[in-house]
Amino acid sequence: MNKPRVSFFREYRTILIFFLVMLVLPFIIGLFEGSTPELVWNNQGTYSKFIQGLLIEIFILALFAMSYDLLFGITGLLSFGHAMFFASAAYATGMLLKFTSFPFWVVLVLIFVLSVAQALLFSLVLPRVKGITFALVTLGMASVFHIVVTSTDLSKYTGSDVGLQGYPVPAFFNASAEKLRFYLIALFILVVTYILYKSFVKSPTGRVCVAIRENEGRAMMLGFNTANFKILAMIISSFTAAVAGTLHALYQPAIIPSIADLGFTVTGLLIVLIGGVGTLSGAIIGAFVYKLLDFGLRRFIGEGASFFLGAVYVVFVLFIPYGIVGTWMVRRLGWNQACKQGWQRLLRVFKSPPKD
Amino acid sequence: MMANEFLFETVNLSKHFGALAAVDDVNLQIRRNTLHAIIGPNGAGKTTLFNLLSGNLKPTSGKVFYNGNDITGQPIHRMIHIGIGRSFQITNVFPNLTVFENIRLASQAMEKGNFRFLTDASRLKKCEERAWAVAEKVGLKEKAFSPARMLPHGDQRKLELGMILAPDPSVLLLDEPTAGMAAEQVPELIKLIREVQADGNKTVVLVEHNMNVVMSISDTITVMNLGKKLAEGSPEQITSNKEVQTAYLGGLYEL
Ligand SMILES: Nc1ncnc2c1ncn2[C@@H]1O[C@H](COP(=O)(O)OP(=O)(O)O)[C@@H](O)[C@H]1O
Ligand SMILES: [Mg+2]
Repeated sequence: MNKPRVSFFREYRTILIFFLVMLVLPFIIGLFEGSTPELVWNNQGTYSKFIQGLLIEIFILALFAMSYDLLFGITGLLSFGHAMFFASAAYATGMLLKFTSFPFWVVLVLIFVLSVAQALLFSLVLPRVKGITFALVTLGMASVFHIVVTSTDLSKYTGSDVGLQGYPVPAFFNASAEKLRFYLIALFILVVTYILYKSFVKSPTGRVCVAIRENEGRAMMLGFNTANFKILAMIISSFTAAVAGTLHALYQPAIIPSIADLGFTVTGLLIVLIGGVGTLSGAIIGAFVYKLLDFGLRRFIGEGASFFLGAVYVVFVLFIPYGIVGTWMVRRLGWNQACKQGWQRLLRVFKSPPKD
Repeated sequence: MMANEFLFETVNLSKHFGALAAVDDVNLQIRRNTLHAIIGPNGAGKTTLFNLLSGNLKPTSGKVFYNGNDITGQPIHRMIHIGIGRSFQITNVFPNLTVFENIRLASQAMEKGNFRFLTDASRLKKCEERAWAVAEKVGLKEKAFSPARMLPHGDQRKLELGMILAPDPSVLLLDEPTAGMAAEQVPELIKLIREVQADGNKTVVLVEHNMNVVMSISDTITVMNLGKKLAEGSPEQITSNKEVQTAYLGGLYEL
């Protein structure tokens, strides 16, 4: 009666196809603009490089959103402070590169430590507050961070409103000289993270995280010390967001404080909602939709695009609560049912558990 | 003295909700390897008493002893590991997970290896086998892969029972396991409970409204009313107890 075990390639077919397509895409785009694969390989080809840049941003966003989905979609924790995990890693990267002469691997180790420390900080309040209250507490903590990085007193270190600029990026990760390399690194990290996340969800630990999302009280009754599992999910998520933040700092010429505000957390949440809560692959698809819409509309409508985008997202979330991947997975239900059940599912996060 | 004869013992146990004493100074002893029923009208405090025994609620005063040890105030997640399993009057499962996964998680909790991130959960072979065995026992094997929320009510009650059987606890606190079940399904479930109790050397504490069932399967019956213990004894003693009859049985239930 057990489900047959499927091979690795079978199981991860879709993401592997995605990987291959993304691998050859820069070269195919190069062909369209008349650059040979060799030229693209040597970082020539204006249009191909432009697309690579756009995709790098999408990959980073996807990584950030996926880390959010692990908390929100898999473990059922609603955080409004997720941007802090990303932004603190970005700022730490920039500041350590600018003000210290640590080798890059030391920088990475420090960022890892920092990400774990933040996860533990958020976890401190976990046993005491749940649902929307937890979200507000995390928002409070992240707001403090945002205030610190924008404070003019510290502008010497953080650049305050203008952002942190002029930090030296290690040659290996220098995207302006070696864009294709950076593109491949970002792609590789995204695909590996996705596969690791997927196996996490199927692991004994991951199953407990899902159980916590479904009904934490019952998971506790079954004998799981749920606090430990939530802290673990928090650490994994925080670390992944930190990886995304580090990539962001290395890729962008400057680190601006808007990545630390609530808006950026909402971006992560929105991407997850568009792609499909709890699906993980939805984070990738959502990031594509979000970035391409954002980019396209800004190009054609200009700054007025924000309002229009907002409307699109509201309508999207209202009528497709399962998101793109989620709706595909429940396609047999029909739209009406999918809409109703999708909403029930989303709203569960806000409800306190039933008392017996 | 406590350790031998009684598996569970409460001492002056009380739980107040504001001014209401839902459980009021209850001294209850539950003999090892027996089936002990707790009956009483709605609002008598049976579920609250269960919540105190299972650690879901902290008592206002009094203590709970299990195997002679004071377990008052133990964290909920410890309970199953010391042998106390509990099922709920209102079905309390993981609605979007499959029947199998619900039961499998219940047995996974008893395993080492809950902190493994990258191996598939299905590699925990013992758990898988246990879950299949339990699914079969409660008659849900055919529905193993449907989501729990899609089950009809009677099957949800069976799942609730499956989730308490999977970890194989030594005491089962069953809060109205047949609540809302179709009448023809009740005997089957009761038979199962009796079987589990008898051939597993287990202690069962049961809240049940069906008097025929209670009278036929219980070793001991405790009658509760308004948070207090009204009477206690064998089914025969309870049936013939005048106080019980006037205060409770005669009014609400047909014997
Ligand atoms: N969490 C609670 N808060 C306030 N009152 C409660 C709570 N739980 C139960 N009660 C009250 O305690 C009394 C006993 O309830 P309960 O234990 O559920 O009775 P039973 O299970 O015997 O029907 C009832 O009057 C009920 O309203
Ligand atoms: Mg009750």
